[in-house]
Formats: sequence, structure tokens, C-alpha cells
Amino acid sequence: MVKAPDDGVAAAVWDALSRVHDPEIPPCSITDLGMVEEVRVSDATVELDLLPTFAGCPALDVIREECEAAVAGAAPGRDVRVRFVLSPPWTSDRITSAGRKALKTYGVAPPSGQVSRPCPFCGSRNTVQESSFGPTLCRATHYCRECRNPFEAFKAKLIVLPAARGSARRERP
Amino acid sequence: MSAEESPRLTLLLALADDDLILGHRHSEWTGWVPHLEEDLAFSSIAQDEMAHARLLYGLALDELGQGWDEDRLALGRSPEGYRNAVLCERPNRDWGFSLARQFLYDTADDERTAALLGSSWKELAEVLALVRTEEAYHLDHARTWFRRLAEGPVAAREHLAGGLEASLAEALAIFEPLPGEEELVASGALPVSNRELLNAWLARVGEELEAASLDYVLERHAPVGELVPTASGEIEETPSFAVPGVARVDGRWVHRGDFAGSGGRRGRHSEDFASLWEDMTGLYRAYPGATW
Repeated sequence: MVKAPDDGVAAAVWDALSRVHDPEIPPCSITDLGMVEEVRVSDATVELDLLPTFAGCPALDVIREECEAAVAGAAPGRDVRVRFVLSPPWTSDRITSAGRKALKTYGVAPPSGQVSRPCPFCGSRNTVQESSFGPTLCRATHYCRECRNPFEAFKAKLIVLPAARGSARRERP
Repeated sequence: MSAEESPRLTLLLALADDDLILGHRHSEWTGWVPHLEEDLAFSSIAQDEMAHARLLYGLALDELGQGWDEDRLALGRSPEGYRNAVLCERPNRDWGFSLARQFLYDTADDERTAALLGSSWKELAEVLALVRTEEAYHLDHARTWFRRLAEGPVAAREHLAGGLEASLAEALAIFEPLPGEEELVASGALPVSNRELLNAWLARVGEELEAASLDYVLERHAPVGELVPTASGEIEETPSFAVPGVARVDGRWVHRGDFAGSGGRRGRHSEDFASLWEDMTGLYRAYPGATW
């Protein structure tokens, strides 16, 4: 994340953004989720680059509107431009430690490199992934064999490089 | 839109229309899949595919003149303006077919998007880097179920094999050469030709089929009655392959010659596309300018 020089306005904008929440994950703000890539403040404008978590997420339009309102409140008199950018792709390791804690408190296991996740309710590791899909694009469905609760886990989302096998790319001279 | 269609636009539309049309078919499973987890899976995959199509249409708008927008690209073209592979438009039949098709399609999509990460077209490579972070889940879904169904019981295996048999020939045509492909390869926009991609994909799918003892769907053994004794008195079986152009050479599945079920990249679609197009574009055509 690139922060503009701290001239007061930028700090106020970041502070306002930390109170914009993802409507599909109410405990997490968009800064907790690492969705804010860049804030650019000039005398006349505030420009915001956001990264979509999942490309098909229906909450993106709501998040954009709420960002516009939040920034307008934090930097009155300046034009606000909010856009979603695709590069770098958002990855789940952008979620801050505060965001991970908030997810767990909410009952959603935070992302990790492991398919099976500790149960957010009882902490047991005796859990199983039922499906890598769930009620929203960003969540998978798990089950705890210990406390017998179904629970959701935030999907790990990582950069996927071509597999190191006999692919066409490797065979190119 | 042929008059204004550059090879770059054809490449984008081939990628985007595959995602849109197959996404539409996947979405038809919502509410109908045999169990809840798969309802969520096919619905989520459909939602992802449509979002990926939207990102690619966004790039396509840069290649087009005034008067185009995302909705018009997705819904405002005549049927022959769509560049999707015929495989994507086929009806869902049963869940075994849908799963077999998802396996073949997402494996093919993985091959081509991996190659396109190295495209000289920077914006396209960026979009596909993002797309691949989500496609990893589709591929995982397809492979998990492929293995589970292949292990049986027999009815599950038969549904999977039937789905593979019905879709393999048309899956090859995902890699049908694009009109103007030489230009795309020369400029590095398409760093690996469809011919090379097809053989890389087929070798990979062949390995997976062999591992599951399902490679018989690629071979058709001649019925006994057709075996003819040769002059030496021995009976020779002429190798015959179920999918035209496919053969096993030196332990590797390869494709040679023509395509069966091709034409999608040139806007030639099956009779199944007509009803899908009617459904998908009905609202857009009935209420021009509608927003939702």
C-alpha cells in the first residue's frame, strides 16, 4: 500500500476509509481487508485506487459508493474519484492481523495456506472442508468434527503461476 | 461485427464469450443440483465466469469504436457475432456431463491463461493474472469430482465417462485456430499457438484419463465382426479412435488434422445456441436501455 505524504488530508481519508465496511463481511473494514491500494491527494482532488477482492463480488458497487461518501466527508471541497484497479491482483495475504482477528470473532476462519482450518468456535483442528464454495464468492464451507458446528472460512487467494509440468510454455524453445 | 473485428478483438471475444456462455449454462443449475454444496459450487463458478467475461469485455471496449458498452457486448450481438466454442453452449444434460465439461473446459482454460501470462499485451496478461487466482478453485472443484466419480460406484463412473465421450470432440475445438492467429502469434499477443496449446492440453488430459483408467473414451475398439484376417492369416486390428484427429503416439495423446465440432470462433454455432441466445438476451432486446 502506498500512502501519500501525511499532510493531514491523506490521514483523514485513510481514517475515514477504515470505517467503510464490506457489507458481506460486516466486521472487516476495507483497510482491514487490504483493498485500498493507493490514495492520491491534490489541492482539488482525492483519487482512490481500490482492489476488488473477488472479481464477481456484488458488494463492490456498494463499497465504491460508501468510499465516495466517506472521502467526501473527510476531504470536503475536493473532487472524489474512486476506481477499481486490477493490478496487482488482490490476494488474501493483504488482510491485516486486525482483519484476521475480526474474521475469527465473526465466526469465519481467516485464510491460510492449509485447506483445513482450526474451528473459529472451539479452536479444534479436527475439521474438514465440505466444499471450496460457500454463501459468498470469498468463503468456503467447513465442518468441525469436535463441536459439530458447520463454519465458513475465508478463501485463500494467491497468485497462481503456471504448473511446473509439461505445459506449452515450458516447451517453447 | 465482422467488418470491425481485428484479430486482437477476436482473441478477447473467444476468451470472454467462452466464460459468458458456459457461465450461463452453469447458472442453469442453480436450485437444481442434487445437493446443496454443488448448487453453491456451480452458482459460484457461474458468477466468477461472468465476472471474468466482464473484465475481458472491458478490454474489448478499447478495441471497439463508439457506441459499444459492456451490456451491448454481452447481450447486444446477433448469434453469429459470438465467438465461444460450441462445447460451451451445449445444454447441461445431466450433472455427469456438466462436470465432465467443466473438467475439460477449465483444464483448457488453465493451459491458455498460463500461456497468456507471457503475452506482449500487458493489460490482457494483468486481467488473466487476476482471473487465475479465482480459476484455481474451479480447477480444484473439477479435478476433485473427476477423481471421486471415476472411483465409482459404477453408475457415477458411467455418468462421468458418458459426459467425457459426449464432450471430448468439441473440447478439442476450444483450440480451433482463430481467424488472424498468425498475426497474434507474430506480435506476441498470443505467445503460444492454439495448435501447441491443444497438444499440451491433450497430453495433460490424456494423463488424467489414463490415471483414472478412463482413457478408453478416447479409443474406439472395432467390433469383433469387423476384424478381417490378413494374407498371413493373422488378425490385425486397425486402431480406431473415438475422437477424430486424436491418436496415441509414443505414449502421448496428440491431435492431428481437422477439428470436429468447430466453427464457434468464426461465429458458426449449433442449434442449441439459438435457444440459449433467446433466453440470455431476451430482456435486453425487449427493453432497450434497461438497467439492472
